[in-house]
Amino acid sequence: MVRLSALTAGVTLGLILAAGTAFAQTGKVTVVTSFSKDVTGPLKKAFEKAVPGATLEVQNRNTNAGVKFVEETKANNQVDLFWASAPDAFEVLKARKLLSPYKPKATGIAEKVGSYPVNDKDGFYSGFAASGYGIMWNERYVKANKLPTPKEWQDLTTAPYFDHVSISAPSRSGTTHLTIETILQGEGWDKGWRTTKEISGNLRQVTDRSFGVPEAVNSGQVGYGIVIDFFAFSSQGAGFPVKFVYPSVTTLVPANIGIIANAPNKAGAEAFIEFLLSPTGQEALLEPTIRRLPVRPETYAKAPADYPNPFKDKNLQGLLTFNAELSESRSAAVDTLFDQLITFQLEPLKAATKVLHEIDSALAKKDNAQARALAKEARDLIAAMPITAAQAASPEIRAAFSGGKEKSARQAELEQQWAAFAKEKYAAAKAKADEALKLAR
Amino acid sequence: MRTLAGTRSLGQAVLALAIALFLGLFLVVPVATVIYVAFTEKGGGALTLINFLDFARTDLFVRSFWNSVYVSAMTVVWASALALPLAYLTTRFEFRGAMLVQTLGFLPLVMPPFVGAVAMQLLFGRNGSVNLLLDEWFDFKIGFMEGLNGVIFLQAIHYFPFILVNLSAALRNIDRAMEEAAQNLGSHGLRLFRRIALPLALPGYIAGASLVFVKVFDDVATPLLLNVKEMLAPQAYLRITSIGIDDPMGYVISVVLIGVAVATMWASAQVLKGKDYATTQRGGGGLARRKLKPRESVLAYAVVILILALVLAPHVGLLLLSFATVWSFSPLPDGYTLAHYARVLDDSSGYIKNTLLYSSLAAGIDIVIGGAIAYLVLRTKLPGRQWLDWAASTALAVPGIVLGIGYLRAFYGVKMPDGTPLAALWIVIVLAIAIRRLPYALRAAYAALQQISVSLEEAAENLGATKARTVRRIVIPLMTGGLLAGFVTSFATAAVELSAVLMLVQSNSDAPLAYGLYVLMQTPAGRGAGAALGVIAVVIVAICMGLAQLVADRSQRARGLDI
Amino acid sequence: MSKPARAVGIEIAGVNLSYGATHVLKNVDLAVRPGEFFAFLGPSGCGKTTLLRLIAGFAQAQTGQVLLDGQDVAPLPPWKRDVGMVFQSYALWPHMTVAKNVAFGLEERRLPRAEIDRRVAEALDLVGLSDYAGRRPAQLSGGQQQRVAVARTIAIEPKVLLLDEPLSNLDAKMRVSVRRELRALQQRLGLTTIFVTHDQEEANTICDRIAVMDAGTIRQVGTPMELYESPANLFVASFLGSANILGDGDGISVPAGKRLVFRPQHATLSSVAGATLHGPVTHREFLGATVRYGVRIGGSEILVETPFHSGAELRTVGDMVGIALPPERMLYLPA
Repeated sequence: MVRLSALTAGVTLGLILAAGTAFAQTGKVTVVTSFSKDVTGPLKKAFEKAVPGATLEVQNRNTNAGVKFVEETKANNQVDLFWASAPDAFEVLKARKLLSPYKPKATGIAEKVGSYPVNDKDGFYSGFAASGYGIMWNERYVKANKLPTPKEWQDLTTAPYFDHVSISAPSRSGTTHLTIETILQGEGWDKGWRTTKEISGNLRQVTDRSFGVPEAVNSGQVGYGIVIDFFAFSSQGAGFPVKFVYPSVTTLVPANIGIIANAPNKAGAEAFIEFLLSPTGQEALLEPTIRRLPVRPETYAKAPADYPNPFKDKNLQGLLTFNAELSESRSAAVDTLFDQLITFQLEPLKAATKVLHEIDSALAKKDNAQARALAKEARDLIAAMPITAAQAASPEIRAAFSGGKEKSARQAELEQQWAAFAKEKYAAAKAKADEALKLAR
Repeated sequence: MRTLAGTRSLGQAVLALAIALFLGLFLVVPVATVIYVAFTEKGGGALTLINFLDFARTDLFVRSFWNSVYVSAMTVVWASALALPLAYLTTRFEFRGAMLVQTLGFLPLVMPPFVGAVAMQLLFGRNGSVNLLLDEWFDFKIGFMEGLNGVIFLQAIHYFPFILVNLSAALRNIDRAMEEAAQNLGSHGLRLFRRIALPLALPGYIAGASLVFVKVFDDVATPLLLNVKEMLAPQAYLRITSIGIDDPMGYVISVVLIGVAVATMWASAQVLKGKDYATTQRGGGGLARRKLKPRESVLAYAVVILILALVLAPHVGLLLLSFATVWSFSPLPDGYTLAHYARVLDDSSGYIKNTLLYSSLAAGIDIVIGGAIAYLVLRTKLPGRQWLDWAASTALAVPGIVLGIGYLRAFYGVKMPDGTPLAALWIVIVLAIAIRRLPYALRAAYAALQQISVSLEEAAENLGATKARTVRRIVIPLMTGGLLAGFVTSFATAAVELSAVLMLVQSNSDAPLAYGLYVLMQTPAGRGAGAALGVIAVVIVAICMGLAQLVADRSQRARGLDI
Repeated sequence: MSKPARAVGIEIAGVNLSYGATHVLKNVDLAVRPGEFFAFLGPSGCGKTTLLRLIAGFAQAQTGQVLLDGQDVAPLPPWKRDVGMVFQSYALWPHMTVAKNVAFGLEERRLPRAEIDRRVAEALDLVGLSDYAGRRPAQLSGGQQQRVAVARTIAIEPKVLLLDEPLSNLDAKMRVSVRRELRALQQRLGLTTIFVTHDQEEANTICDRIAVMDAGTIRQVGTPMELYESPANLFVASFLGSANILGDGDGISVPAGKRLVFRPQHATLSSVAGATLHGPVTHREFLGATVRYGVRIGGSEILVETPFHSGAELRTVGDMVGIALPPERMLYLPA
């Protein structure tokens, strides 16, 4: 490989000389980020102003591509910082020794936002902002279809929302993953999955990009979306007829930054982190196009009146203590379970859910105990999980995803088992529900 | 005599080796470094085929495989239905605006990523313009964009130009006497088309149809835009790009995709064996076109306009979107503004310049290599020459992300004298685009060369021209039209290439337009600006295509060839 | 097919046809008699193929009529005319076998399968290609291809047969035999046939009558002999065989606006004395049965052919000779 590559170098040398290369300047800080230009633009400007002589080179990549990029280029790394929302991306980078630890010198930063610790406990990455999850909806869509206005997560499980909700897959969006994980930790494994599946039974679509959700809501293709707040607020800012609500129990997810191992400009990287955490940097987060929640409590004094404050507002405080280790230990299993039980079984799940909604409306008119019992059985079938919480975090299952020695089955085998499990249960649930519906009518 | 033959094949062998080296370096090796994972045990690294067994045992993959087959086949059917009338009417009849139709008919291929999808949703989506109006007037909606049929609908619109271009080229080359003889014997209308024109144009049609089949089979963007994940290419993409899971299945699927692409190309080659009509077609009757009667004329224009309206609807949507203030859950935007263009023109000139540079370089590389491979395969007896074709064709099936990762793996470790990695140079982006678009140029070159009678070359050799000079003075001039078509196809589609580019772009100043689009399309406020940038991309491509057409026409006329 | 079909006449009246600014056919009037083997003869670009295509329906005239069997065919598209045409390039479809090619027109007429098979076999038998039914056109020689094209056309039992330079793609030897076959076939079928050619020998040898065309007009219609013996104009005189044309400036008196025309073999060499035409011999060619002399008369050179027999007196280059012409062989044609 090396020899071949060297050969390529020779072959392309002529072209390169003609092309000319920009030599790295002192003070150039290269950052790979999933944040949009709306976010990076103002911060870049402020940083370059605050630190004379520094330039910020922004490489926009979605989180997945960013991680892959850092991984593939580690042999000759040219990137100083990784800057994104999803903590799991940082966990992966950390586990693969692609981050270098750094403890910010800035003081006055909160330990926790909502239920999440701001910084990595091992010091490999730092939170610089937080965002809350909530429900976004298109007003025109809701009005045209005479749909209700949601307030709580639970609302999304009810009949009127059927086929109107959109979410991004947790395997594709680190923030959605955290939201699901929060539900699982808050309600417990079985109850949490039950809620998740009940909401999912109403889904119109599971997108493969986080931004796919606000995009669909903005253009009116879907009524409701489970999104991070800033997507909704920036959509409003762009003039779209959308509304947003934080449910009374919301999840706050941090946005992070970390220094890449062997960063060519480590000093510059540290300077940028310090800038982000500085009062100036934190205040910049309040700008309408960025609109993230600062991790420095004092900054909120400068925020507009209706700006959410996770350090004061009740619903943003968080009711549980988020267990990051637990989350990490089963993250692949949770993602894969969601995909195999929900994303790729959406049609059967929806088919069963639809009948259950019909039963509910029939029962509301005329009660029928037997139908009620059957419907409960159907719901239990849907809620059934192929593995327990303990199994999900067990070394055997983890090894199936990581390729470790302890695995009892290969990932593909697990996936097939889980998919078959879900398919069978949903079909059985549908059959039961159909039966119940006949009785209820 | 023996020495003469020796030098000849030596030159050809050197050419073949150079191409093999190029393909090896920039396609086979980078891709192999990525997909070898498919053949290893996870975590262990030992070679195994167990992953392929897993593939066959997993319902999801098997279902996805058949879904992909179904969608690809049906897309070919619908794309043919769109392309046949346009191709036949504009090539075999006196049809005013034939060139315009051909140019417009090509545009669907140039659909900018992301923003094109949004435009489609706004027009054909569940609550797109068409459905909102249908709902209001007639109280029903059509699921244009629902499920597999939605994918077929969009793919047929998007990829039908491949059939249009290839079929038109083939139809153009049919001697008019072939049709007149049939008319003289009592045939006309559709039967004439079915029995004479279509069979004679079959090589071109098969070339286009197989390309459509493979592209649809391997396309990621359209199914994902419709949230259809149960197809093979999206499965590969989703798995390869999932964070933190070292899953070989994504690469296993990639191998399957490549296998299907190669098998399709091989099958189409088998079908076409012995159907090389070039030598028997030329001569005599000229290529003049038939006249349409007034009534036929009206019908023909109606059909053409209807088809164009359908296939260009996404571009109309894009245009509207680029001028729209807000467009949400309504048949038309709320208001119109020029602000998006102002915003884009402000900071996108670099993107545009880069796009033009990269696309034309990549397309240039493509026609040189594509033309050379076509020549080696069709006109020489070099052993193993077919492999060049197959290798180049696999590029169709290699997911852009795999190629991107492969390039990083293969070239990032190689340092330039100043320490920058080789893969960080913009020329690497050009090479990646060139490899991704090479199959297009290759097919075009094939078609062009197939239709040149060997006797024309033999005549040149007979008059004392060497092989090399024959190529230069006879083959290349006669292939100009076809090569130019290949250049245009490569260029136009390269201009909106994203997946590999996204992996390889190292700095904003080196980024092409598609990257700029991607950056814009990550924010709600960027939608209009993204559309504006998309329109600019399409306009640039259209202008370049128009120029290329003009040049082609000139050169054809200068040679006294009808077009 | 075996029995002669009722032959049909063709009339062309007042036809004008232009492609843009190019006036391809100018006031063409013509009548082809039933059962006649007729030729359109002229140099390339004279409009003869266009006239043929007009009859077949592949060209549209701006004015005038084409009558087949007394009926105006203008409203009929090519596929309804029952006019069989053999194309110069033969236009055999490479994707069909010989039998399929021949069967094509019959299939288009929705004939029963058995009838089609019978007539294909007959047609192939007629052209002597019965053994080649399963071949592809590309596997046949040029002559065979030509015969397939003919078989394909006569299989539909057309009202008239149009042949567009059917011999031009054959070698010289083939041409002679194929043209005889064509003539024999036409005689057997009794089919009105039009043959387009630029080769006077082809036209002369097999056609009953010839229309000589030039620049979109018909210059003269007649049997080969009539055209040769009494050409109506200088073009016909010089296009059919060789002709000496002399004008006023050549030391001879010619009526105003006329030219003197005579054939080389009608003149004889005489002594200078008493001859109105005289001059030096410029060259001599031995042609076997005759000897051809070139003689300079005034500013022109004329040709004289004298029979050759052993012991005949030969002139040499430079000799002064006179030229004798029987008055009945002297034609005065409009300039």
